[in-house]
Amino acid sequence: MASPKTIPKDAQVMIQILKDMGITEYEPRVINQMLEFTYRYVTTIIDDAKIYATHAKKSTVDADDIRLAIQCRMDQSFTSPPPRDFLLEVARQKNQTPLPLIKPYTGPRLPPDRYCLTAPNYRLKSLQKKVTSSAGRITVPRLSVGAVSSRPSTPTLGTPSVQTVASKLGTPVSLTGQRFTVQIPSSQASSVKSAATPSTPTVQNVLINPSIIGSKNILITTNMVSQNSAADSGSLKRKHEDEDDYDTL
Amino acid sequence: MAAVQDGPIESESDKETKTDVLNDGAGNITGSSTGVLSSPPNATSSDTGAAKPMAPPPGPENQQTLLAVLQYLKKNNLLESVDILRREAGLSDDEDSQGTDGSGSAANADEGGNANSLLNRVSIATPAPVAVPAAPPPKASGGEDQPDVNVVLSAYSQQGDPALYDTYYTGLKNFIESVLDCHRAELSQLFYPLFVHMYLELVYNNHEQVGKTFFDKFSGDQECYYQDDLRVLSSVSKREHMRGNETLLDFRTSKFVLRISRDSYQLLKRHLQERQNNQIWNIIQEHLYIDIFDGMPRSKSQIDSMSGSLAGEARREANKVKVFYGLLKEPEIEVPLDDEDEEAENEEGKPKKKKPKKDSMGNKSKKQDPNAPQQARIPLPELKDSDKLDKIMNLKEATKRIRLGPEALPSICFYSFLNAYQGLTAVDFTDDSSLIAGGFADSTVRVWSVTPKKLRRVKSAVDLNVIDKDSDDVLERIMDDKTASESKVMYGHTGPVYGISFSSDRNYLLSSSEDGTVRLWSLQTYTCLVGYKGHNYPVWDTQFSPFGYYFISGGHDRVARLWATDHYQPLRIFAGHLGDVTCTQFHPNSNYVATGSADRTVRMWDVLNGNCVRILTGHKGPIHSLAFSPNGKFLASGATDGRVLLWDIGHGLMIGDLKGHTDTVYALKFSRDGEILASGSMDNTVRLWNAYKAFDDVETDDFTSATGHIHLPENSHELLLGTYMTKSTPVIHLHFTRRNLLLTAGAYNPQ
Repeated sequence: MASPKTIPKDAQVMIQILKDMGITEYEPRVINQMLEFTYRYVTTIIDDAKIYATHAKKSTVDADDIRLAIQCRMDQSFTSPPPRDFLLEVARQKNQTPLPLIKPYTGPRLPPDRYCLTAPNYRLKSLQKKVTSSAGRITVPRLSVGAVSSRPSTPTLGTPSVQTVASKLGTPVSLTGQRFTVQIPSSQASSVKSAATPSTPTVQNVLINPSIIGSKNILITTNMVSQNSAADSGSLKRKHEDEDDYDTL
Repeated sequence: MAAVQDGPIESESDKETKTDVLNDGAGNITGSSTGVLSSPPNATSSDTGAAKPMAPPPGPENQQTLLAVLQYLKKNNLLESVDILRREAGLSDDEDSQGTDGSGSAANADEGGNANSLLNRVSIATPAPVAVPAAPPPKASGGEDQPDVNVVLSAYSQQGDPALYDTYYTGLKNFIESVLDCHRAELSQLFYPLFVHMYLELVYNNHEQVGKTFFDKFSGDQECYYQDDLRVLSSVSKREHMRGNETLLDFRTSKFVLRISRDSYQLLKRHLQERQNNQIWNIIQEHLYIDIFDGMPRSKSQIDSMSGSLAGEARREANKVKVFYGLLKEPEIEVPLDDEDEEAENEEGKPKKKKPKKDSMGNKSKKQDPNAPQQARIPLPELKDSDKLDKIMNLKEATKRIRLGPEALPSICFYSFLNAYQGLTAVDFTDDSSLIAGGFADSTVRVWSVTPKKLRRVKSAVDLNVIDKDSDDVLERIMDDKTASESKVMYGHTGPVYGISFSSDRNYLLSSSEDGTVRLWSLQTYTCLVGYKGHNYPVWDTQFSPFGYYFISGGHDRVARLWATDHYQPLRIFAGHLGDVTCTQFHPNSNYVATGSADRTVRMWDVLNGNCVRILTGHKGPIHSLAFSPNGKFLASGATDGRVLLWDIGHGLMIGDLKGHTDTVYALKFSRDGEILASGSMDNTVRLWNAYKAFDDVETDDFTSATGHIHLPENSHELLLGTYMTKSTPVIHLHFTRRNLLLTAGAYNPQ
């Protein structure tokens, strides 16, 4: 630590405060951080107090304004945890419900998808530049768009099933809210085994114009989507996404 | 009548004018809620700017004005008015207080119901003899006696107040010092809570100066282990400071529990009642809970070992609930026992300290261990095939396990984290010791492989299509060898990671952070699966249940929560601590949870219904580590005071106090069969203690559970088996491998 003579007065005060609070061991940068915090806090409070004073049409800022400013800031930034009686009440209610039974053999036990961080957080745009809804049909080479829900079984590959596309394009509104899968028919159509599904080429060169689809629920998957695959493939489905999580706190 | 608010107003005309005059003269009345007719109920309204012209003398002006009015009327021979006033004041004092409380809380929305309820609990020093000490809200029911107004005024004036507190406290001190030795230790317990409550009252009623002198005079007398609290208290000098401090508010509203023998209590009561020291009596009644027991008074050392927590000790009833501390039955697994042989059948379910040599519980005893919970008491996940394989591995390893003891100490392998720059905040090992996870202050979570086997990700879905699902080594084939590496980093948290826990099936990793979330990571894809939000404040610790599926987390909001991985909201909330929950641990049978807190208590909770079944006091600092013995009967806890305390869960009593460490004990672990307790601390040492011996004496008798007296043998040095120094590396985590090798982890601290 620098010799006490050369430390500015504010820092000396901060050192004294730390000593009064019983903090004896700290890195030297702690003082700087505390001073920065102090400066920021005090200026924020005084700014707020000035606003309140002008709002009350007073010419000077007085203690009541400061008090109000501190109070508002406390409720905003420096919130404290809920009081004990509230917590006890909440706990009492929560603890009354019995523990839910565990369903056996359901694979990875995770909350419903919307509470997980496993959904994709990107959409791909279509290659087509022109979208003419009047045309009614989009010729996307090697691309077929269909709704998952309406399809219990995967259409065989190699056949871009466009019939559904046509009907749906005419009414783009109906596309919203439905989940879509982008199925990339395999160019090398290997034999379709019962268990295995053909590999698919990479999906990078497929772009879907969101204006057509509209919904945000596009799920890029392989053809395993609508099959009753084992649970682990269900979890594998989620691995396309990268780890950027976008939950806000 | 500007001064008058909506309290019930007496309809005495001349008295009204007089009260008016007096009110204008009296000015603001801050903080007092002792109801009196026709004066502003309490301070909050006056605080927000209804500034009276006079400087506000704080204190029970209401009482004072009433008495002064009475005196005035008497002096002027208005005897009839006096009678009427006295009658109505005598009756309506209580009504008034309730009325003004109700109206006060309705009218003053400034500080909210909370503050008002607190205001109601604050009682101003009322040296005027209170007729009924047992009045539930201790409002001064004045008016019975009519002391001279001068006396009253002088008593209530500002100079009078501090002297009163001071004299009361000194009076009590003198009394206690004059008492017999055997009672003195017990009655000395009163000092600390009385001191704190009196100080807080002074602060709350804005007697800042008085409070300061009071504090300076008497804070040095308190026990040394309360010094941290006192320091925090010294920083609270104004009423506004108390507002945000939840711990202090909780302290004010919860009852400090003292355990005093009946004889000592009688002494105290007699003294206080004959002396008219009703201020102290009021505080005792309102804020303290005296748990009286019949029997010998306790000695100072006994008291010292049990006290130290923020809320005093635990009441006897708090620790009387039956706790099922036995272990659950092991399930049947067919094991290809190659090297196993026929050994004597263990009675399964009994919490024995033998190592499980086999698992074929063929002819297992059908009788249920009375101390073990039912199998289906809480729903537990069923065993998957991989779990069964794991159990088989476990048992095979167990056969090669080294028997530890005072002659056979474990070898210790220390994993030092280099270049962590003091950022290592949490460490965990998997049960089979193959992976280490570290949580860091830069909000990353890193996983390392301890064995030569590298960490690999599962292949992407694209590649998974081509593999042959029916092959035997499909579990190998799904792994992508291109991603193999020694360690993996996982990003996602937005604050330092304070708690970390592997699941028992090694598929999941939990991490809890200062950002208030608990994250579940998959160890197959090394990505984050779920973020559990509920605590809105830093989460200090988290732990998976020994059977998986459930996990607990404890944080700054003073609660611990029980979650299941497939519910986005907690299943149970364990509320009751007065300070942050700093440490959480599951019982081996997964039916109970232990939490250690900054309020210096350890509590045990029942998972089934969320009730607190044990409160264990005795630590003098926040608790940072907990460990259950493998047989489920005992609990060890370590705190910042450097002591490791051993508790008998069944009785709820302290059975051991291991002294030796000089700094916070951050890691505690029992060996696999419970013979040795290892403790790691910030003082850069690992110490091994003889757990068998420590628990030996306990097994036998049902000692003193009635009175809760404990006789702790001073045998720490006998129980200490070894002290191992590290090179300036605080020990953060301990783990016994399945073969009883001790693994430790910490970050090298070059300073």
